[in-house]
Amino acid sequence: MRPENYQPVEHPASHEYELYFGPNHPGIEGNYALKVRLTGDEIVGIKADGGYLHRGFEKIMEDRLWIQNVALVPRICVPDPPPMEETYARAVEMIGGLEVPERAQWIRAMILEMSRICGHLFIVGGTAATIGQYSNMFWGITDRDYLLDLFEALTGARIYHMFITPGGVRRDIPDGFLDKLSHILDYLEARLPEYDDLFFNNPVFHKRAEGIGVITQEQALAWGVTGPNLRACGLALDVRRDDPYLIYDQLAFDIPTETSGDVLARTMVRRSELIESIKILRQIVQRLPQIKGPIRCDLPNPLAWNLPEGDAYARTEAQKGELAFYAVSTGGSKPWRVHVRGPSSMHAVQVLEKLCLGGRIEDIALIMFSLDACPPEVDR
Amino acid sequence: MSQQLPEVLASVFREIPNLVFEEQTARRLRVKLRPDALPALLELLKGRAGYLHLSAISCVDWPDTDEFELVYHLWSYEVKTLVSAHIYIPKKPGRYVSVYDIFTPAAFFERDIHEMFGVYFEGSPDMEPFILTEWFGPPPMLKSFSSLDYVEETFKWEQYSPDWLKEIEANGGGIVE
Repeated sequence: MRPENYQPVEHPASHEYELYFGPNHPGIEGNYALKVRLTGDEIVGIKADGGYLHRGFEKIMEDRLWIQNVALVPRICVPDPPPMEETYARAVEMIGGLEVPERAQWIRAMILEMSRICGHLFIVGGTAATIGQYSNMFWGITDRDYLLDLFEALTGARIYHMFITPGGVRRDIPDGFLDKLSHILDYLEARLPEYDDLFFNNPVFHKRAEGIGVITQEQALAWGVTGPNLRACGLALDVRRDDPYLIYDQLAFDIPTETSGDVLARTMVRRSELIESIKILRQIVQRLPQIKGPIRCDLPNPLAWNLPEGDAYARTEAQKGELAFYAVSTGGSKPWRVHVRGPSSMHAVQVLEKLCLGGRIEDIALIMFSLDACPPEVDR
Repeated sequence: MSQQLPEVLASVFREIPNLVFEEQTARRLRVKLRPDALPALLELLKGRAGYLHLSAISCVDWPDTDEFELVYHLWSYEVKTLVSAHIYIPKKPGRYVSVYDIFTPAAFFERDIHEMFGVYFEGSPDMEPFILTEWFGPPPMLKSFSSLDYVEETFKWEQYSPDWLKEIEANGGGIVE
């Protein structure tokens, strides 16, 4: 609640009342608020209220060297930071004309897919928790932790790795890392039937999620929906396939889709993407040992590194959807402007408002988690 | 270069006077045009070339020329090429038309640019602050706004000398600048 900011100038009709949903609410992702107008438990008006996580990244980045921003960007999105690093690094590489060595590209793709699994486990657990199925959330967090252990072995950090830098990656993979990764992939695959029994095939969940928060294909395209949420409407569109980066054009993977566009479809797309990511990681585990070479291209002294004049728009398929960085250089040692387009800038504001309208109050949390809306990306 | 340009895009670009384009890399087209022609370009791209996805609108402040640069990033799921349309508008009065009627996602980006840069978009559904609801200063993303100066003016430096630190300093230790 924000008493200093909240002045009820308009008194709602007597059968209506206003409710602040968030910023401190277990049913909301991150610190985010929704100002909801209700009659009974039906939503007749909803307005998103952001800004609780605004840290001014875009402004701070203009005062930092190109290389210093590597430490800043992953903090924009907490559950899925590596795509931020990757997209920023690729924008810098596009401006500077840097060629990333092949081995580094494979390592980067490996990190991105590991992060995708982490994010999906996290959000699928979260979706289950919004309807009271907490066991699935605990399972998701626990299984994600095995991957975080791998991240720690690889990069020294569990969440904010700062591992992908312009021109490559920071270091090579440690000995025995790929074996450990295969082991975890085997484990996750073996766990999946248990998740199915507990959650994905659970009739309670199906009954609760079917027909809730439906997006049609036309609406999805018009509202700028991307990522798994778009694929849940039956459109097999993926930045990895349409605008390939790194080595994604050398990997074999499917783009899973569902047709109904509701909460159930979005959750089932994420389940299928878990399988696809495991498939991609298995290919990387197989191919990476054969790819020799450096892990970083030659860079000048990063503390005295002036990028040529220019601009670049880099896009990545993050776990939540299309992530893009627009970077402008004026030939100096610092960026002139960096604009972050998080996938949630659409999902958490316009799409969420439109989907909740006419729904019921108990569905707000379910719809928000099923959209995988991430407020830190919106506020930046 | 224009040989590689898909015919559908070439036909759209021919319709717009004073349009300059360059291919930055594969799948990246940089287009520069006059501000009054931008809505027409977006309409044509959407209607004729399948540019259904407005990926983002970015704003860049250029204090030397007293201009804002607005960049509309559009992606087509059919042509599979990103078109970045660059326009320059004068900082005073800093007004431009909304493209909300063409692309719904524009509402978020226009609202964001309005509160961060102070550009007003006529016809945008909501120009109320979203992130900076409790901020009454100038638009913070302007180059003329220095966050360091703001901090120096707004907050006071305080002497930090707790007892335990005094003890250490008496023995010749403490915070070394």
